[in-house]
Amino acid sequence: MISGLCMSSMDWKAVRQMIFSELYSAYYNTVAAVLAAAVSHPLTDSELRRIVGKNAFGESALHILPALKEERWQLIRTDGTTPIRRRPDMPLTMLQRRWLKSIAMDPRIRLFGDLTFDFPEAAPLFRPEDILVFDKYSDGDPYEDETYIANFRLVLDAVRKKYPLHIEMASGKGELLAVRILPERLEYSEKDDKFRLTGKEGHYASTINLGRIISCRPSEEPGKYRREPGPAGQRGRQKRVVFELVDERNALERALMHFAHFRKQAERTADDRYRVTVYYDREDETEMVIRVLSFGPMVRVTEPRRFVGLIKQRLADQKSCGL
Amino acid sequence: MAYSELIKNFNRIRDYMREFYVYGFKNRDEYTQKSARSYDDERRRLESWLGDYMQFRQTPKGKNVFISVDSRMCSHNPLYNGWKAKSFTDGDITLHFIIFDILCDSEVSMTLGEIMERIDGYLSGFRMPRTYDESTVRKKLKEYVKEGIIEAEKKGRQLVYRRARTDCVLDKDTLDFFSEEAPCGVIGSFLLDKLDENEDHLAFKHHYITSAMDSEILCEIFAAMGEKRRIILENMNRHTGRVTDDHVVPLRVMVSVQNGRQYLMAYSIPFRRITSFRIDHLISVKPDKVEEHFEEMWAELERMLPHMWGVSTQGRPGRPMEHVEFTIRYGDNEPHIPRRLEREKRIGRVEHLDRNTSRFTADVYDASEMVPWIRTFICRIVSIHISDRELEEQFRDDIRAMYELYGLEGGETNDI
Repeated sequence: MISGLCMSSMDWKAVRQMIFSELYSAYYNTVAAVLAAAVSHPLTDSELRRIVGKNAFGESALHILPALKEERWQLIRTDGTTPIRRRPDMPLTMLQRRWLKSIAMDPRIRLFGDLTFDFPEAAPLFRPEDILVFDKYSDGDPYEDETYIANFRLVLDAVRKKYPLHIEMASGKGELLAVRILPERLEYSEKDDKFRLTGKEGHYASTINLGRIISCRPSEEPGKYRREPGPAGQRGRQKRVVFELVDERNALERALMHFAHFRKQAERTADDRYRVTVYYDREDETEMVIRVLSFGPMVRVTEPRRFVGLIKQRLADQKSCGL
Repeated sequence: MAYSELIKNFNRIRDYMREFYVYGFKNRDEYTQKSARSYDDERRRLESWLGDYMQFRQTPKGKNVFISVDSRMCSHNPLYNGWKAKSFTDGDITLHFIIFDILCDSEVSMTLGEIMERIDGYLSGFRMPRTYDESTVRKKLKEYVKEGIIEAEKKGRQLVYRRARTDCVLDKDTLDFFSEEAPCGVIGSFLLDKLDENEDHLAFKHHYITSAMDSEILCEIFAAMGEKRRIILENMNRHTGRVTDDHVVPLRVMVSVQNGRQYLMAYSIPFRRITSFRIDHLISVKPDKVEEHFEEMWAELERMLPHMWGVSTQGRPGRPMEHVEFTIRYGDNEPHIPRRLEREKRIGRVEHLDRNTSRFTADVYDASEMVPWIRTFICRIVSIHISDRELEEQFRDDIRAMYELYGLEGGETNDI
């Protein structure tokens, strides 16, 4: 049941150092990319700038370029050559191996293939019983079901290689449906604990719950699919709700954390009052209504009028229940 | 000291990140805990690390800075970038690439003296070649042995070093998924940095990214749990700002996927009971001695779970459980409502009384944790009973307050 790592208390300080380490830093990775190019040919200044710009943070060039040019980091000579002979690479750290051992114990790993991490010297960083997600929904996808795994792998392959699929599935009402879809992405919801396939059926955006797929195969029929720009294209599907919040019973923190995964803005309007704007996908409107309701009288929706109407309707229906 | 976008300690930036991401309504003057210069430096760092995710809004009281991320639109947690900004010395980075070029594969093994000789060869072509003394290189090698990337082995009287053999195939989709979904996912992000592929095939809905900021604390908690070791939590009360040292036995990490919070369930040694600690409120974790009764404490938590809606536990021994019961009705065309009740009920029981009515019941340590969920059924709640009468009355008062807020009681829409 309980894990038993062999780490001595003397190594405790190392744990702290391990995760926040320059070994994983953007600078080390960027310099590795610079050296990977320099081992094959002398680097020009513009090439150096391009590599740094691509790999590091926005302001990093201001620090990395002078450090290399002024030979404070003695890795690139003035003529653009390097004394390093081979493309840099680094073994996996113990922390990385331990994390991989942990994810290998998650049943969802099999969705991605028959992967093994053969590190006998590394104990898992955490074990499944160390963690409990206590509020996910109970009807999540069957990750250990062989048919589900086979479907998932085929769908993922189609997303990677961009070919259409013929899918037979059960609708929400239990009817058998057949669709032809050009897959674009697999989307996972941690709250629902489900994967959904997003893609195009002809000209229309489509979403299929993987758990509802009965069978799927590559489609041999040619189809006309309109490619939309990936998730960024979803901006056009966004709606917004504005609500006023009074910070009682810790409502401010609860609401801002609850809605944290959305694009949002918060502003203070008075000492304990705030105006919060949340942008959400139009297909999730009902979910947004009930999520707003969960905050009770600490939140009052002010815009748009339509959303206010949805809340009022629910409250009017509640009133008719006699509570 | 001159500004650098790299940092030595993560804790200060962790506070700013949380403020900018979760809240984002404060102006510069309100960050009074730190100096104005500190604020400007931290804001500048975050701008550099996070790019367009850092946004600004001009208000009458000044400029508000906030981090705005729709996590459904980005396949990679941008907050991980903070963990990739650790500072180092000029000597560190130079030595790092030279050592791994010298120990180019796991078949090459050398003594410290042999490595020292080769290092000089690497540096000779520079105008003012850097020199490393033996103790510096030995210290670096020792550090890398601890990290597991170099192995040291005694041969005769000498220690020889070689790079560790850690061959393994890394799959981008696997890492993309678990770097977002698994605890300490930042480590997966470090692994992703090793790959050249760029195309993303996965997206994430209802995805909270705030736990990224607590990766180090969580990692330390896991290490202690693995050793069944007591720890001392440096814990901050966010309302009062008071910091306490809590002596506990860490038992389990509980994660909410409905607000992104992570809690440590731990046995409090002074209070002799199991309680929860917000991981984002922890400043540090210090190791203490190994706990002999770890297994019994773990089993006690297991026994408590069927009565925990969230993370609240029994306030004091012998305190009675609270009973919660509510009934909802739904139309013939709403079969999804009883299904919703079933899949969201966690620990409770659901009875379907007839084709249009279902009842939920549960006995819990803290009924107040359930109230937000019960409110999501507003429009169909026909009865509710909570053994804590005060809480039940508050629930009813809240519903009435909502009627008033939206003008359903008395006609006019009122202020909150």
